[in-house]
Amino acid sequence: MAAVLEIRGLAAAYGDLQALWDVTFDVPERAITTLLGSNGAGKTTTLRVVSGTLPATSGEVRIAGERVTGRSAHHIVDLGVVQVPEGRHLWPNMTVEDNLLLGAYSPRARSARVATIGEVYALFPRLAERRRQLAGTLSGGEQQMAAIGRGLMAKPTVLMLDEPSLGLAPILVDEVFRVLSEICEQGTTVLLVEQNAHRALELAATATVLENGRTVLAGPARQIADDPKVRSAYLGL
Amino acid sequence: MRLVEALISALMVAGLYATMSYGLALIYGVRKVINIANAGTMTLGAFVTLLIWQATGLDPLLCVFIVGPLFFFVGALIEVFLVRRVAAQAPIISLLLLFGVLLVIQAATSLVFGGDVRSVRPAYIESVVKLGDITLAYNRLAVFFSGLVILVGLELFLRNTFLGRAIRALAQDVEACQLAGIDTKRVSMIAFGIGTALSGAAGCLLTLVFAFDPTNPFGVLQLKSFTIIVLGGLESVVGVAFASFVLALAENVTVTLWKAQLENLVSFVLLVVVLVVMPGGLAALLRRRGVA
Repeated sequence: MAAVLEIRGLAAAYGDLQALWDVTFDVPERAITTLLGSNGAGKTTTLRVVSGTLPATSGEVRIAGERVTGRSAHHIVDLGVVQVPEGRHLWPNMTVEDNLLLGAYSPRARSARVATIGEVYALFPRLAERRRQLAGTLSGGEQQMAAIGRGLMAKPTVLMLDEPSLGLAPILVDEVFRVLSEICEQGTTVLLVEQNAHRALELAATATVLENGRTVLAGPARQIADDPKVRSAYLGL
Repeated sequence: MRLVEALISALMVAGLYATMSYGLALIYGVRKVINIANAGTMTLGAFVTLLIWQATGLDPLLCVFIVGPLFFFVGALIEVFLVRRVAAQAPIISLLLLFGVLLVIQAATSLVFGGDVRSVRPAYIESVVKLGDITLAYNRLAVFFSGLVILVGLELFLRNTFLGRAIRALAQDVEACQLAGIDTKRVSMIAFGIGTALSGAAGCLLTLVFAFDPTNPFGVLQLKSFTIIVLGGLESVVGVAFASFVLALAENVTVTLWKAQLENLVSFVLLVVVLVVMPGGLAALLRRRGVA
């Protein structure tokens, strides 16, 4: 499988505080990859650097072979790498439909917005019911669906999700994971940051484990799941 | 009948108030800076209108079509070359910077035009419109409808275009905008341009209702803008329009039923009362009651 996203020796800092030291992994095409690690390991920071909202201090990010380190965030979205951020970050005082439509801001996605929004509503019928409602009035689960829907509106080749199951009831977590595998089956590459390592490793084809801003393990998800270190640290076995 | 006339008269001035205030709200929304230079660009708008009118006799209301686009570029330049450079610093820095811009504009206007009181008086300035027993000044009606057209146009733009939605979104969550592929720098520049264009347009409208010099009545109007955006909230055209009407009405009732000297006091009192009693303005008040 060709890697659609390659991350090589990435380092990044928030002011004087270095958060990433050496992160390296590949995200193979048309599969689900999960990025695991404890709080503060650098998972969210890695997504930020890939998305272009935080600059890398060294290392590089390649999208489909093209070096994109240092590009601004909207260029990364234009190239098809789209992030659904932790905490959803919807625009609370805009309707669900406006939130979704703005997801298709990039010129590449804009012309297809009518068809794409139909697909998103088919995937999340609940959003279709609530399209005229302000996003801030949605429940947590509905907000997560809206956030994923907004990400899909950009017609991503790689969809990166940061803790999409955080704070959701178990039944909604099932729903989110079902949708992610459906998205992947339709041809979109998924990079999933999850605290629920057990579920993530079940779903993913490949996995990467970060510790203190460094890649410590990377490989097929099944192999990672059997690693004794991972079993004790993340799976509680 | 005096009260009805006061009410209608208030509605008329509200068109001007809303136009000059909404630019301030728009710029605060996307850049989180208080554009204190708003009064300056409004002053410039009024003097440019005076120049155009003297040179060509073009109606001040039509001057909006020249001043608006021109001031869009002025605002975009201010954003790119001044405001953006200090965006990462403490808010006081941008406030002082824009205060500097205001002083430069006022000093330059004084230098070019002198300190005399000016006015623009097209032929219809004394005309009135009679509706039954109610007499309305034609110029005020014209200002009201122009303000209304500008605000409705703005609202349609903000609600129904990608760029307009992006401007609203930028006021609510910057990171989400970046991740949605919005070029936030470009949108900030455009919003600053539109806000400045609105202040310029307010300058055009103002020439029909007030006599003016390089500092008056712009300083007082600036304060009224602050009252209006504090009262109306920073994110809604409707809130700003409504607050403009509330302020204009309060002023008018005070002047009509009490003392004319108190007109400017009304906005100061209202500003203090709103800040103390209902921070968040009318919008927050309505939300608390479950209306909006």
